[in-house]
Amino acid sequence: MRRKPAETARHLVALSRRSTLAIFRQPALVGPSLIFPLFFAALGSSAFSRAISLPGFPAVDSYLQFTLAGTVTQGVLFGSVTGAAALATDIQDGFFDRLLAAPTSRTSILFGRLAGSSLFGAMQALVFLLVLWPFGVTVQAGILGYVSIVVGGFLTAFAVGALMSVVALKTGSAEAVQGTFPVLFILLFLSSAFFPRETMSGAYRRIADLNPISYMVEGQRSLSIDGLSLTAMAQTLAIPTGIAILTTLLALRQLQARLANR
Amino acid sequence: MTTPPIIAENLVRHFGDVKAVDGINLTVNAGEIFGFLGPNGAGKSTAVRMLTTLLRPTSGTARVAGFDVVKQADDVRRNIGVALQDAAIDPLMTGFELLELQAVLYGIPANKMKRRADELLERVGLTAAADRRVGTYSGGMRRRLDLALSLIHQPTVLFLDEPTTGLDPMSRLTLWEEVRRLNREGTTVMLTTQYLEEADQLVNRIAIIDHGHIVREGKPSDLKRTVGDPTLIINVSKTQNDAAKSVLRRFGELRPTAEGTLGVGLKGGAERVAEVVRALDQGRIVVEHLELNQPSLDDVFAEATGYRLEGADNAPQAG
Repeated sequence: MRRKPAETARHLVALSRRSTLAIFRQPALVGPSLIFPLFFAALGSSAFSRAISLPGFPAVDSYLQFTLAGTVTQGVLFGSVTGAAALATDIQDGFFDRLLAAPTSRTSILFGRLAGSSLFGAMQALVFLLVLWPFGVTVQAGILGYVSIVVGGFLTAFAVGALMSVVALKTGSAEAVQGTFPVLFILLFLSSAFFPRETMSGAYRRIADLNPISYMVEGQRSLSIDGLSLTAMAQTLAIPTGIAILTTLLALRQLQARLANR
Repeated sequence: MTTPPIIAENLVRHFGDVKAVDGINLTVNAGEIFGFLGPNGAGKSTAVRMLTTLLRPTSGTARVAGFDVVKQADDVRRNIGVALQDAAIDPLMTGFELLELQAVLYGIPANKMKRRADELLERVGLTAAADRRVGTYSGGMRRRLDLALSLIHQPTVLFLDEPTTGLDPMSRLTLWEEVRRLNREGTTVMLTTQYLEEADQLVNRIAIIDHGHIVREGKPSDLKRTVGDPTLIINVSKTQNDAAKSVLRRFGELRPTAEGTLGVGLKGGAERVAEVVRALDQGRIVVEHLELNQPSLDDVFAEATGYRLEGADNAPQAG
């Protein structure tokens, strides 16, 4: 029997609601992913306040203004693991089986989890923009720039969440998902999240040149510092979209493999 | 004649070299409470997981609620209720929210959902706890919520995997009563259990499963009858012991019993108790106490498998 799209949509909405509620009912989960990036931003702002005069830095009033994009990306990467970890917990605890025993749309199980962490990613981006605003950190691109950064947060969380879901579906272990998180953190530090690529050299520069996070961050940074441009919007939105398509395909394949192996 | 709601033919499931279920044939009729009795690792949960579409059979076929569990899995899911022992309930959601989610998954319209959820919460005695997060529920409350979740779409066939494992005696009795009530209302129930008492008290028909095979199947009373005659135990005064023994011997072989009592394997079963009492009375023997002990399901289990279910943790397991 073929499932009606409306039924799949209802399942997706219900499961997205569940995963969103779950995130916001765990302050221990929400807190660190909001506090740590802001802590790093404050620390960077204090330690690297004079770095902005180095050759290669764009013309900004403060390091905080420069690091806005890095802070948003860092926070979103932090938070995007939660959905995949929760998916793995569902598998471990048997809630996944409960959903499978019902006539649940299988893809909704995956996308419901991703929707929750993606909404959280968008919310994180919004919170960072609002919290840093009183400190003079603004987005020169105006309202469209703010919206692009928030939507970029959603897309980045979706892309990374899907990638982490591959691990969750493969291993069924929340610990394994959490264990891969440092890889994301290393990738973030090997990007231009905290310093412009122009200030880097050697292998570090070459890795940052190849790292898609660099281009995502630079898109947001350009919206924040330089103002609205098509290139900046494309970098902010198209790069995470492209990665999201790729990682979602991988996650769907892994979901299919898990279901086939039953 | 209606088609039996559960039919399994030569159902097999292997995990690598382990034959968890090794050729099960089974028919559960409409309106029955059917039990799978066996120790941990006997294959009963694996069999239920195949019948509820959660596992694909390695070979063999099964039809549940009239649908093939592999080819029409989604139709099976829409018509059955499932409460699995190892399927956790999300501790971050409230009881009502979980029922709401379950209602959406089973396509219950929004305008009927609240009424149905309220009915079920009342039925399982969780109305007051409906808006509390499940993480704060006791084990018994979770099981009752689990049962309510499995009933949201009014299934005709209900699968309960070890529904009372880990529950205190009072919660167990409450759950049994609810299962009986559902059955009276027309729901066919299939449950797995490792508790002899549960099998004895609750089910109409039982399959004893061991190492992936069904080794005995039938009504508990019939199965127990196959093991042998019941034991009639009487207490008489010491001075009448010998006279009582000679009367009892007319009804079967004397059996060893506790000190101060006499026992006989009563040929013909319970129907002959009155006859024994009359014979004792005619011999002017005063009976102080009388009881008839039927063979237990553990005796049936032991006869079929060579070991007892009580304390079966030491038994060899199939996985």
